[in-house]
Amino acid sequence: MRRLGALLVLSAVPTLLIVGPRAGGQISAANAGPELFATGCASCHGVTGEGTANGPPLVGVGPASVDFMLSTGRMPLADPTQQPTRQSPKYTGDQIDALVAYVTSLGPGGEPIPVVDPEAGELMEGRDVYSFGCLACHGAGGQGASVGGGQLAPTLDRATPEQVAEAVRIGPGAMPPFTEGLIDQQELDSLVRYVFELREAPDPGGFDLGRVGPVTEGFVAWVLGLGILLLVIRLTGTRT
Amino acid sequence: MRNRPEAPVALALICTILAGLGLAVVYWLGGQPQIEGALLAVALGGLGAALILWERRLMPQEQVEEEREIASSAEERAAAQAALERGGEEFGRRRFLARLLGAAAAALGLAALFPIRSLGRAPGLSLFRTAWRPGTIAVDENGVPVGAEQIAVGSVLTVFPQGHPGSADGQALLIRVEDGALRLPPDRLAGAPEGLVAYSKVCTHAGCPVGLYRAQTHQLLCPCHQSTFDVLSGAQPTFGPASRPLPQLPIEIGSDGLVRARGDFTEPVGPGFWEL
Repeated sequence: MRRLGALLVLSAVPTLLIVGPRAGGQISAANAGPELFATGCASCHGVTGEGTANGPPLVGVGPASVDFMLSTGRMPLADPTQQPTRQSPKYTGDQIDALVAYVTSLGPGGEPIPVVDPEAGELMEGRDVYSFGCLACHGAGGQGASVGGGQLAPTLDRATPEQVAEAVRIGPGAMPPFTEGLIDQQELDSLVRYVFELREAPDPGGFDLGRVGPVTEGFVAWVLGLGILLLVIRLTGTRT
Repeated sequence: MRNRPEAPVALALICTILAGLGLAVVYWLGGQPQIEGALLAVALGGLGAALILWERRLMPQEQVEEEREIASSAEERAAAQAALERGGEEFGRRRFLARLLGAAAAALGLAALFPIRSLGRAPGLSLFRTAWRPGTIAVDENGVPVGAEQIAVGSVLTVFPQGHPGSADGQALLIRVEDGALRLPPDRLAGAPEGLVAYSKVCTHAGCPVGLYRAQTHQLLCPCHQSTFDVLSGAQPTFGPASRPLPQLPIEIGSDGLVRARGDFTEPVGPGFWEL
């Protein structure tokens, strides 16, 4: 299966090279999806998204999942054994749209790309939703934390409102999904507003030190502050 | 420099003056914590350096030690020893008073035992039972009844017995896994319909809320000491200090779609106090 996938990928490369220039340097939206899928995804997820030993099936994962994985640069993965982490996206917005459309056409199911309007959200409600659903793993300041087993809940510092909403709905990786029954549209808007409030909260001390509070602040004060003081005392004092 | 030993002191003091004025200006212009901190460090550091250099370079370098005698004279020491010995003899002669002293201390100690009563009522069976009864409706943290269809596959929700939202010992994690994935004994499986299973949220190690769920691998993780529980096999501990599985809350789905308890947890929740 893997060999077949690789073969198809290899055969797709010249096709792309031939088709590309003929369409005036741009691939039309209708066939861009299949082309991109064959070159970037099929080697692990199978030619028709049926999945291989290296990657899960993509039939029925839904548009939100594909958009999240591609727009956060978690996919494509260079090495299928590594944990996907946030990277700069490998595809343009148009290419991602084409891939979303193509993968969605493979089979029904999954979550649609959520619509999110942080302006319509309420900060206090967002805080409640965050404390109940997100804080345990992503931390009080949204900086992310270890969830054991070598896995990390990522920081929420770089996600767009759409990406936060997509992650809530699909539950990527180790994260459990929070569907409409648990977090409704109004609560989702509030949650996204709160996440962005957390990010923009001022740091009066200048450095946020991970925003985990007195532990890191105390560490810096004791080790750096007292350490420098001890050095000064050692340099200026006299021993008799 | 050799001819002008006061020059470094003056330089340090001038630094302090400039930094102090700079601090005032930065504050006046709206403030910036890093710049203010740096200027304050230069100002105080300059002052300290000036004082140290002043002492090192300009003050006379001579060490003086003040001599003083602390030991008492031989006669005084002998008198004190004699007084101490007379006191000991006196104490040994008063047998009756010494016994009274012992009795007074014992009575006081006995009286100190009685405030134990003020520690509160005896716990009785409250440590063994929670508010869950057969038919109790599961509610969320706001007291709203929970419908089974709210929980999608892979999702998790903290639920409480109706009438006790926020209850510390009654809190349970309602999790839906793929139907048929649970590996439970038949009697426990009956309390987990349609892949919906509920476990106590109180860690069996130290009582922390087991707040983290890794949906991909069906593992619950306690953030305090990384105890890990396998949801599919009855929340058995697979890693960390917890030695006992999380008690299961047997549930059923009513005809109205609401989640109800079939009874209390399968065993007392939290750390195993009764095994002490």
